[in-house]
Amino acid sequence: MPVETVRPEEALVLDRPWATVVWNDPVNLMSYVSFVFESYFGYPRSKAEKLMFEVHEDGKSTVSSGSREEMERDVQAMHEHGLWATMEKAE
Amino acid sequence: MSGGFERRRGGGAVATFTGFEADLMRSLASQMVELLRNEVAAPRETNDPLEQLLDFSGPTTEPDDPVLARLFPTAYPDDEEAAAEFRRFTEGGLRDTKARSAAMMIDTLEEAGLPTELDEDGLHIDVELDAGAATTWLKSFTDIRLALATRLGVEEGDEDFWLALPDDDARAHVHDIYDWVGYLQETLVLALSR
Repeated sequence: MPVETVRPEEALVLDRPWATVVWNDPVNLMSYVSFVFESYFGYPRSKAEKLMFEVHEDGKSTVSSGSREEMERDVQAMHEHGLWATMEKAE
Repeated sequence: MSGGFERRRGGGAVATFTGFEADLMRSLASQMVELLRNEVAAPRETNDPLEQLLDFSGPTTEPDDPVLARLFPTAYPDDEEAAAEFRRFTEGGLRDTKARSAAMMIDTLEEAGLPTELDEDGLHIDVELDAGAATTWLKSFTDIRLALATRLGVEEGDEDFWLALPDDDARAHVHDIYDWVGYLQETLVLALSR
């Protein structure tokens, strides 16, 4: 089996290979979405609001990244809060 | 009409509802409990450890009901197998959590004085929620709004359509309720955010 060498930029991705993506929907209130980002992820209000605006303006936002297990936990938590979230492989 | 939630001293939120409003909220929450507990795809509940181990009945495909499909979205849009696995391990627990949250809303309203059958006028229900209960209510408001919006077919920027509906159109009435729950949720977020 060939030995694979890991280049620095790849190492970064390997460390956080998965992402949680939250999608825009016509129902959830902007105030509530940023409240969820603030309370669940513990983000400062400015970051929570920035991510909320990304969801609202761009249609989606990557709100967290990490191992597959961690991201499945985050996606599940977003579903518990009624946000439309999916798993994505980090680019 | 209720002025919505206000900040509670020591955390959480308080609100006063008319009997009619509290009764309406109870009815919406009850429908949510029924929806979450009734669909066939929900895993069977059992206390027998052997049966639990042998239970492969957790759902693996998206629910047929569009409301349930919105409440439990597909986590892996491009990977059917991973999506099925994720659903099998999460949907049962999520259904249970959401149903319990809605049931808690009903209990809180009844403990605050909402009678089983609402038959008196001028009744006022004072609801007091600590921070934890308030967060649970926020999630239930979300579930209720997602359910109403999915049934109505609410879309981005369609406010004019709903405003233009004649009063005798049932959808106009349901959309008013949807807006009202949104208003309650907005005041509750504000009460918790300051």
